[in-house]
Amino acid sequence: MLHSSLLELLEGSDPTQINISTVPVLERSELQPGRRGGGGGEGAEEADCPFRFSPHSLHLHTDNELFEDGDVHRHLYLQDLVTTLQATDEPQAPHVSEFRCHITSCKQLFDTLEGYEHHYNSLHRHVCSNCKRSFPSNHLLDIHIQEWHDSLFQVMAEKQCMYRCLVEGCGLKFQTSKERKDHLIRVHSYPSDFRFDRSKKIKSKTKEKRTPQQREDCMAVSSLEVSQHRETENCEEMDISLPQESEKPELVPSQQPKPRYSYRVPSSICFGQGSVRGFRGGRKKK
Amino acid sequence: MWRLQAVQHKASRSAKDLEEFKHKRREHEKALRQARRDRQLISKRVLLNEDEHQEREFMETDASPLSQEQLQEMIRNVQHGGEEKAARLAFLRKVLRDPQTHLIFTKLENSMYVLVGQLSGHNAQCQLEAARCFYELSHSPHPGVGQSCLPATPYLLTYLSNPNAKLTELCLYTLGNLWTEGAKVRERLLAQGIVCALTNCIQNQRNNLAVVEAAGFTLSQLLQDKEAADRVIQQVVSSGLVPHLISYLKPDPEFGLGPAIECAWCLHYIVSRTCDASALLTQGVLERCSSLLVTLGGAVVKGSTEEGLELLLWPLLRCLGNLLASGVCEGGRCPVGLEDARLLAALCVFSQAYLPTHSALTRESLWVLNNLTAGSTLFCSALLFFNVVPALIPLLPFSKGINIMVLRILGNVAHNGTGYCAQLTQAGLLPAICATLKMADPDVVTMSLEVLYLLIASSPNVTEEFIKLNGIQLMETIQYNNDEEQRLRASYLLDNYLHIHSIPNN
Repeated sequence: MLHSSLLELLEGSDPTQINISTVPVLERSELQPGRRGGGGGEGAEEADCPFRFSPHSLHLHTDNELFEDGDVHRHLYLQDLVTTLQATDEPQAPHVSEFRCHITSCKQLFDTLEGYEHHYNSLHRHVCSNCKRSFPSNHLLDIHIQEWHDSLFQVMAEKQCMYRCLVEGCGLKFQTSKERKDHLIRVHSYPSDFRFDRSKKIKSKTKEKRTPQQREDCMAVSSLEVSQHRETENCEEMDISLPQESEKPELVPSQQPKPRYSYRVPSSICFGQGSVRGFRGGRKKK
Repeated sequence: MWRLQAVQHKASRSAKDLEEFKHKRREHEKALRQARRDRQLISKRVLLNEDEHQEREFMETDASPLSQEQLQEMIRNVQHGGEEKAARLAFLRKVLRDPQTHLIFTKLENSMYVLVGQLSGHNAQCQLEAARCFYELSHSPHPGVGQSCLPATPYLLTYLSNPNAKLTELCLYTLGNLWTEGAKVRERLLAQGIVCALTNCIQNQRNNLAVVEAAGFTLSQLLQDKEAADRVIQQVVSSGLVPHLISYLKPDPEFGLGPAIECAWCLHYIVSRTCDASALLTQGVLERCSSLLVTLGGAVVKGSTEEGLELLLWPLLRCLGNLLASGVCEGGRCPVGLEDARLLAALCVFSQAYLPTHSALTRESLWVLNNLTAGSTLFCSALLFFNVVPALIPLLPFSKGINIMVLRILGNVAHNGTGYCAQLTQAGLLPAICATLKMADPDVVTMSLEVLYLLIASSPNVTEEFIKLNGIQLMETIQYNNDEEQRLRASYLLDNYLHIHSIPNN
């Protein structure tokens, strides 16, 4: 809100002005140069400083396009086409800025900041440096790295309970991924059709075009969509492969009722566990 | 205000009429926009006198045009009318309301001759009725009709100093419309001394605001013409008319805003074409613009629904904006005439109040604020002192020039150093910048980075605040952007300020 006394004086009928010279003028100071580690902070930094803004007033010529709306309004008035009736007035409503994801390979548009933030936090924040898959939280990223990229994991898992519960703060560990799955369903009420499986259909290379409206829906995109660059779009919780399941390895991805957990893996990715058939047989645990 | 009151009668029309009206308006608006882009924006003034509007409605329902013979007959009646001449001219005028008669009428052998004769005659009533006829012809949609009115122009010009105000007014609007009829007409009018006649009119008819409004309109037509404008401006300025125009920049409680509106548009056309506005600054124009803006600001705050406010606001803002563009505010001093700090409040009020309906007014108010604050420690300090920043921040979501202008203003303030940046940060600027840094428009992002740089470079405290808002991560994200300008700036901030700050001291 504007300074209340200023607003009051604007409203009041008292013609006294507030003299601007009563305002205390702050002292001007120069910018502090950047402090590169070890340097004196001068010389080299200023030479390559990319910032170029300097305050300057702008002169706008009569023909400037910024003046278009006002000129048109003026001429409508001259032609007797201006009314004050709300019904006939077609307001020049303001345009609201859109937001765009900075990641070059993504560049999705969003109508709201929340949409952007949600997108970014889900897709781009916790990224595995090995396989470039992203996870919504550090906890899941940790578990992923441990289970997929730690060569010792397999070894140790044979002797101890290594499969951690996906719920942060739970802390329980299990011997097999199936046990963990059961635990998640029973104790933490995860849905039973939660994607514990990896779908074989993911090798499809179709690229589906994205519309800008997909901010919430980005995670519900059909899992047939795959592209080399879109690896970071995965927003699944955790995918656990079940080595000796008898169920069909090909779950139909598009029927995923909880799209939040849908999961796409680029074909170039090799997963330590499920993909190597050799281990599948050898890791039969109860 | 009698002119703008005329639109009230449209309220009584049926819903069908309203739809037609809206449609007509949309079409006209489209045509106007295209004309402007082609630099061909001209309009004729369409007026509705109170005593005539009923007649107009009557006429609109009667659709049959008159034939050549009938018109010929009417002209003969006028010529030989004796004492009935005025009445017969009045009847002719009503007939001429129908544009379909114009072409026929002007092609008849002695039609114009008769009319000019009546116009230049001794009978005041006939003069008036003849002038009305010419007015109808002047805003004919048919090309060439206006040109046939050329023989009348010397008389129309002479009557500009006539004591009969009604006649003068009619002549002014007729001339203003005729001006749009092409180069030949314009040359003729200029040669016949239209500028001088208008100048005298405005200077001498102070008592009659309707005449001033009409003269202002006609002058504005001259000033808009891209070829003649420079010549006209030169004559206008050297004749000393500018102080008179400035003196009309006040709303009259009885008559309304009409004269102020016309004179303001004239001033805008003069100022915006003049490269060096310093000559105009000595005539009190800053003070007058500023005080009128403050008055209007007060009206808007009170929720005034006075018609035509924005018609006056537009040219005023543009005058002030371009006058300030000569750098008159730079430094720590206040230019003469701008001492009233309420101007800042008024500009803020306009930018907020007109955002939903006329967002261009928001943009132009912010432009004036930019010109006030650029390089001026006084106005930047005032902006902070009067707590204007929290009123600017909510405008950042809006595009098409609005958020860029707000960022410029904030940059102007931040450029002054530590003390200013500290207050900007206190006012909550950092979270707002974090949002604008994520917008789709690359110019907005680059400008946000510029402002961010000024803030961060001002003090380590600000750096710290920014880091708490996940600033480092945001900058790292920007490094993935394919816009080089953004990447360079983000990297510079990370290397020189942000990473340094977060490294624990060794």
